[in-house]
Amino acid sequence: MSEKTNSLPPINKQEALERIGGEEEFLKELLDIYRTEFEKRCQELEKAIDEKNYQVIQESGHSLKGASANLSLPALREAAYEMETAGKSQDLEAAKKTLKRLKLEFERLEDFLNQSK
Amino acid sequence: MEKGSTKISVRQKFPLLVAEDDPVTSRLLEKKLKEWGYSVYKAENGEKAWEILRKPGLRIALLDWMMPGIEGPQLCARLRQAKKPRYTYLILLTAKDTSFDIIQGLEAGADDYMTKPVNFLELKARLQTAQRIIGLEDRWLQVQKKLTRLATTDPLTHAWNRRAIMRFILEEINRCQRDGRPFGLLMIDLDNFKQINDAYGHQGGDQVLRQVVRLFKNNLRTYDRIGRYGGDELIILLPSCNVYQTGTVASHLLELARKNNFNVRGRTTTPVTLSIGAVASDTLSQVNLDSLIMTADRALYLAKKLGRDRVIIFGDSVKPEIREKQNVRKNKFSSAD
Repeated sequence: MSEKTNSLPPINKQEALERIGGEEEFLKELLDIYRTEFEKRCQELEKAIDEKNYQVIQESGHSLKGASANLSLPALREAAYEMETAGKSQDLEAAKKTLKRLKLEFERLEDFLNQSK
Repeated sequence: MEKGSTKISVRQKFPLLVAEDDPVTSRLLEKKLKEWGYSVYKAENGEKAWEILRKPGLRIALLDWMMPGIEGPQLCARLRQAKKPRYTYLILLTAKDTSFDIIQGLEAGADDYMTKPVNFLELKARLQTAQRIIGLEDRWLQVQKKLTRLATTDPLTHAWNRRAIMRFILEEINRCQRDGRPFGLLMIDLDNFKQINDAYGHQGGDQVLRQVVRLFKNNLRTYDRIGRYGGDELIILLPSCNVYQTGTVASHLLELARKNNFNVRGRTTTPVTLSIGAVASDTLSQVNLDSLIMTADRALYLAKKLGRDRVIIFGDSVKPEIREKQNVRKNKFSSAD
C-alpha cells in the first residue's frame, strides 16, 4: 500500500479551481463539507467492517469516490474506489487495509493544505 | 465571484431538483445552478427526492444513479408511471467508472444522463435542452386548452355549444344511474325573438341572446350548464335537481327574463319572455338522451301553444320512492298535528 500512497498528489488544486469556477473561498467551503463527510463516512465504514456489512462498505466507498473526484483529490479518489471494490467483492481484509489508506491519504491532504496556507 | 460571463440568466427562478447523497457534489451543483438562475431543491436520499419530484411545478431534476433508498433509475420509472400532468425532464448522474447501463437508465424513463464529476459547460447546455422541451410542452398544452375551448363553446353567447352540452347531459345520465341523484333539464325558447330580429336587425338579436345567457349564468349555480341547442333555443342542465326543484328554477328564470331590461345599442328593447319545456329524471321511466330531449321538446311546444311566457313540465312516471317521500312528509305532518 505504501508505494501507491505517494504516487498520486493529494489535490490537483488548479483543476479543482477550474471546475468550481476559480473561487478559492468556495473551494475552502467545499473542502470543509468534504472533511465533515469524510469523518462521517469513516465512522460508517468502521462500523460496517465490524458488522461485515458489504453493502454499506460499497456505498460509502462509492459516495466518497464521487466527492473526491469533484474536488480533484486523486489519491483519495483511488482509495475510495478500492473501498467500493472491496465492498463489491466482499473482501473484508481489503476493506480494512483500504480504510487505513484512506485515513493516511486524508492526513496527507490536510498536511498539504496546511503547508500551502 | 460575479463575473459577467458566468451570470447567464436562464429564466427567472426555474425550480430544479438536485437528488444527490454526496454533500460536496450537491453543494457544488447547487451553487452553479443558482448562478444560472434556478431555484434549487436538494434531496440527499431517494424518498425525499420522490416527495419533491411529485410537485407539479417541478419540471427538471438531476438524479444521482446511486442513492440511499430509491435509486435514480427507479425514481425515473416511478415518476413516469405516476402520470404527472406536466412533463418532468430527468437527467441521471453517474460516476464515470462505475459500470452502468445507459439503456437501462433511458428505458426507466430518463431523458438524458451525465457522468460525474460534472462538466458544467455541458450541464448548462443540457439544461437548455431541458428547457426547450418543457417550453414545447407548455406551448402545446396552451394550444390544446385553446382548441378545447373553441371546440366546446358557442362563439356568440359563450354558452356551451351543442356537442358539449349533449356530452354533459350524457355524463349526468350516467351519474344519475350510478348514484340515483336526479337532475333536471330545461329547453328554453325566446318568445319574440323573430320580432326583435325584425326590429333591431340580426346583430340586435345577437345582443339580446347574449344578454339572456349572461342573465342565466349570473343567476344559476356554478355547476349548472347552459348550452346553445340551436338558433334561439337554449338548454340548461340542472344537476341534483328533482322535478320540484327543476320547476322552481324554471319559473325563477321566467320571472327574471320578464323583469330584465334588454338593451340593443344602449336602448331598451321590447320585453323578452321565455317559453320553457322542462323535464326531470325522477319523473321519466326511461332516462336517456333521446327521451329527455323529446319530452322537453314536447313540453316546450305545449308551452308555446298555450300562449308562451310559461313553464310546462312533462314526465311519464312517478317513481315509487318519490311517492313514498311525499307520503312520509305527509305522515310526519299529520303526526305532528
